[in-house]
Amino acid sequence: MAETPKQITLTIDGKTVTVPDGTTVLQACEKANSPVPFYCYHPGLSIAGNCRICLVEIVGTPKLQIACYTPAANGMVVNTTSDKTLSGRRDVLEFLLINHPLDCPVCDQAGECWLQDYYMQHGLYDPKFNETKQKKPKAVPIGPTVMLDAERCILCSRCVRFTDEISKTGELGIFNRGDHAEVGVQPGKELNNNYSGNVVDICPVGALTDRDFRFKCRVWYLGATNSVCTGCSRGCNIQIHYNRERQWRPHIANGERVMRLKPRYNPDVNKWWMCDEGRYGYKFIDENRLTQVQLRHQGAPKTATWDEGVDLIGATLKRLRDAKQLDQVGVVLSSHLTNEDLFVAKRLFAELGVRQVVFQRPKNGASDNFLLQADKSPNAKGAQALGIAESAEGLLEKAAKGQLKVLWVFTQDLSTIFGEAKIREAAKGLELLVFQGTNDHLTAQLAHVVLPSAVCAEKDGTLTNVDGRVQRIHAALGPWAQSRGDWEIMQDMAARLGVALSYPDAPAIFADLAAREPAFNGLSYQLIGDQGVLLKA
Amino acid sequence: MSTLGEQLLHRIRDAHKRRTLTWWERIYLPAIAQGLWITSMHFWRNLFLHIAHRLGLFRDQPASVTIQYPDQRRITSPRLRTRHRLTKREDGTPRCVACMMCETVCPARCIYIVAGEHPDPNVEKVPKSFDIDLGKCVYCGYCVEACPEDAIRMDTQRHDIAAYSRDGMWLDIKELLNPGTRQFNEPPEKFVQLTPSEFRQLPQTPPPPPPGTGR
Amino acid sequence: MWEELLIKLAVSGAVLGGVLNLAGMQTWLERKQSALMQDRIGANRAYFTVPWWLGGGPVNWVLRKLGGLGILNALADVIKLLTKEDIIPAKGNRFLHTLAPFLSVFFALLAFAAIPIGPPLILGGRQIPLQVADINAGLLFILALASIGVYGVILAGLTSGNNLSTLGGLRAASQMLAYEIALGVSLIGLVVCYGTLDMGLLVERQGELLWGWLPRWGVLLQPVGCIVFMTAALAETKRVPFDLPEGEPEIIGYFTEYSGMKFGLFFLTDFVEVVLVAALTTALFFGGWQVPYLQPGGFVFPWGAVVPVPHLAYVGLGLLSFTVKVVAFIWFFMLIRWTLPRFRYDQLMHLGWKILFPLSLLNIAVTSVVIVVGSAHP
Repeated sequence: MAETPKQITLTIDGKTVTVPDGTTVLQACEKANSPVPFYCYHPGLSIAGNCRICLVEIVGTPKLQIACYTPAANGMVVNTTSDKTLSGRRDVLEFLLINHPLDCPVCDQAGECWLQDYYMQHGLYDPKFNETKQKKPKAVPIGPTVMLDAERCILCSRCVRFTDEISKTGELGIFNRGDHAEVGVQPGKELNNNYSGNVVDICPVGALTDRDFRFKCRVWYLGATNSVCTGCSRGCNIQIHYNRERQWRPHIANGERVMRLKPRYNPDVNKWWMCDEGRYGYKFIDENRLTQVQLRHQGAPKTATWDEGVDLIGATLKRLRDAKQLDQVGVVLSSHLTNEDLFVAKRLFAELGVRQVVFQRPKNGASDNFLLQADKSPNAKGAQALGIAESAEGLLEKAAKGQLKVLWVFTQDLSTIFGEAKIREAAKGLELLVFQGTNDHLTAQLAHVVLPSAVCAEKDGTLTNVDGRVQRIHAALGPWAQSRGDWEIMQDMAARLGVALSYPDAPAIFADLAAREPAFNGLSYQLIGDQGVLLKA
Repeated sequence: MSTLGEQLLHRIRDAHKRRTLTWWERIYLPAIAQGLWITSMHFWRNLFLHIAHRLGLFRDQPASVTIQYPDQRRITSPRLRTRHRLTKREDGTPRCVACMMCETVCPARCIYIVAGEHPDPNVEKVPKSFDIDLGKCVYCGYCVEACPEDAIRMDTQRHDIAAYSRDGMWLDIKELLNPGTRQFNEPPEKFVQLTPSEFRQLPQTPPPPPPGTGR
Repeated sequence: MWEELLIKLAVSGAVLGGVLNLAGMQTWLERKQSALMQDRIGANRAYFTVPWWLGGGPVNWVLRKLGGLGILNALADVIKLLTKEDIIPAKGNRFLHTLAPFLSVFFALLAFAAIPIGPPLILGGRQIPLQVADINAGLLFILALASIGVYGVILAGLTSGNNLSTLGGLRAASQMLAYEIALGVSLIGLVVCYGTLDMGLLVERQGELLWGWLPRWGVLLQPVGCIVFMTAALAETKRVPFDLPEGEPEIIGYFTEYSGMKFGLFFLTDFVEVVLVAALTTALFFGGWQVPYLQPGGFVFPWGAVVPVPHLAYVGLGLLSFTVKVVAFIWFFMLIRWTLPRFRYDQLMHLGWKILFPLSLLNIAVTSVVIVVGSAHP
């Protein structure tokens, strides 16, 4: 353990606060609960000190100082609310807004814009600027994901620092001088890296906006729910922003529910960032979903009720159990299921006597050495921790050989992993291929019974990321159409087969899970909180 | 500084203090005769005037206060909130920039806007479709108040929305830009999406008539 | 014998036709008169056109003008009432429920039998009384039928299977009871004055002159009786301000469960009763078919001038006089109906029992004393 840094004590707005040496005044102010406005400062980036809005009065210095770049010193007396400070901030804001076009009505940032916020908090002046505003390029797509409006930019340089320091791609820069200074991409380049979406998040104004989110929805229609990205096994913490007003405004984005994903700060997983693959990989939540129970047992597919679907599977399983042929039943769970789902499935099939229960990861994909992982399964570690074996390959081979009667596949499209031919061959040898999943694809089309299930954004539960960190997801949306949560479907099945499983909700399942599974011993939703908890090795 | 009970007592006392009627008033007949006199005078006056009007006399004296609504129209205040319209730029595209202020502020949630890209980056945003469900609208005028672009107004002087169905009370963007182009029994083009160049090709109707002249 | 029957049929047909048309025209009168009284225009939109083979253009022009006057609305009303669904409530008594409106309108129409509508017509040496039934106790007959009229209303209320309708019927019954007495008693003074119950004689005796120059009309001999009678009779018609049995806009009345033409019959009864009351008032207090100073031979004025009038003109003038008076009273009752607000029920009872009834008793006493004293000192 490194030696403890020296502690210093200073007074902020009459409150005494003790911080480690090397802290800036801005951070000390935040600790003292006297927040200071800022644009260019970002805790994840180097300090530039160019927006000048974070002015504070430090007793003993004749001029106002910027809080973000001034190191705190022992005995310092800082005043963040004096008239001098407030008028200084107001003047700085007026300067920042000199060339701002004030096109809030068309700006996607309106509603979450820091210029609007600080104008209401610190501005409220009568503008004295009578001259002509500088014209700069507007609505310039500077990359596949980001739109630049140079007029709205206040030149805080956060985006430039991000491409220099975090993505280390350096596409962005500030060009020209004085009034003509503007942010732009380096000549011959475009902002196209796997983390480019982050510059939209860190842009405090509407200069950089998301092309995917452009004009889709006003931000005040959005509801936000804390969740975890399911794009890869990293499990970046995110917020799901969905159309909260969909009931009354179904015309927004053609009725899609999820509008965008935003990263959520977690120092141990993703800090402030997330990759573009995860950021724009939410479309599956509203597109190509399975909506109804379908039976394809004889000939053409037909929609059915939940009772019909579950009854059919239950009757088949019951017959095989009575004939002591449960060794001809295979279950392929998915690494996209939550720990709760996996646990209920594990219990159901264990008590039923089905031995061949495995889980399957999706196909590996691209990776980098920052956040993106090659393993695209959000909960493979959880399945392993629950002691579930991996890979459906063996079961598929058995099925192709005709040694299986029933195969129950969860979520994964096995055809993209093992190839189309293998799946078709296996389906031929089976009496009953059940697919329980979220989206329509080849495996679902081959299945005899299709049970629509909820996606992670519609579920409560926990996922375990690549480091073994158990993280909580919350249901942002209700289940799509007639789909249901996976554990609810399995509990329904348990009732048909006489297996005692009756959990009221996800917290109850996790409580039982923590009690029964050694890897999860002692964990609870309270302990997991917003930031997650590491599994015991 | 009296309690509620005392206030109530006072009220009851006041009610009892009602003036007692004189004998003349209590037989009611004079009052009845007075009333009959007034109403019959109106009757005869109006009967005379109606006949006189038929003969072309006393045309300046109205025989009734009735406005024969579909044929005659009341002179309305220019500030009367009537059916909405969208104002246009000189080139015929809507002035609206799809900021959704009206949609947001609408207490009846009857405005539906889908935003689209405008080819001119200085305009940037334009509605692809702009629909108002008059069946839900409460005519509060908040949309006009909220609009930062003077793009929506309630000055068409049209206040009769009659339709055979709820759909008939739906205003699509074509009707909003050119009020009166759709007949009331024609179905609306719900959520019809137009591009700026299509806006320019729409038939251009003159601005609404001045208040009170009807249509 | 057959001639007698034909004559009676003709007279009763004329009376019935006249009464029903007057009642029907009241829907028009009601609309237009109320409109004029309230500075409105009133019904003016209902009209229809006929094809060329029914007259085409000129007929359509007339129809358009009639429509502008609102007269065709009455026709539209009838078409509407006849084509509307006829509802009999599930809890109602099918037979009695249907019977009630017919009972109601039947007795109202029957009362006209005893009212003389004109002087006796002498045609080909035969004297034809212009009165359907020359009953020598005609006044009693009319009062009796007026009392029976309430049965239709009570029946309607009771057989609707609706508690609120029943209450409406009961309200009607007690209102009728309260005003029936004043109605009857107020006429006793009149009977005392003229000394007869025969309607024909009553009207004839009103043609005599008082002090040689004043027609001896009932209203002059019995002013108090006239006011009491008109008030009570108005209450009998169940129209505003005495419309508590029905109270269309807010309190629920006895014919709530009626629709179509059965409802229309109740409506018609109201109008027929208005005509009846107007005719009775005319016959009893305003000289009936009498024209002042017109004797069977011609006008005999108090200053001695004589204008001879042929018999047919005399009869015609009598009929005209009766009709004009009846229409004037219909107009007057309509004026009251559109001027006065409805009574509260306790006010209604108070007026009937505590004012009109004692007043009519007092009227009898005063009349009797005056008659006795007057005959003692001629």
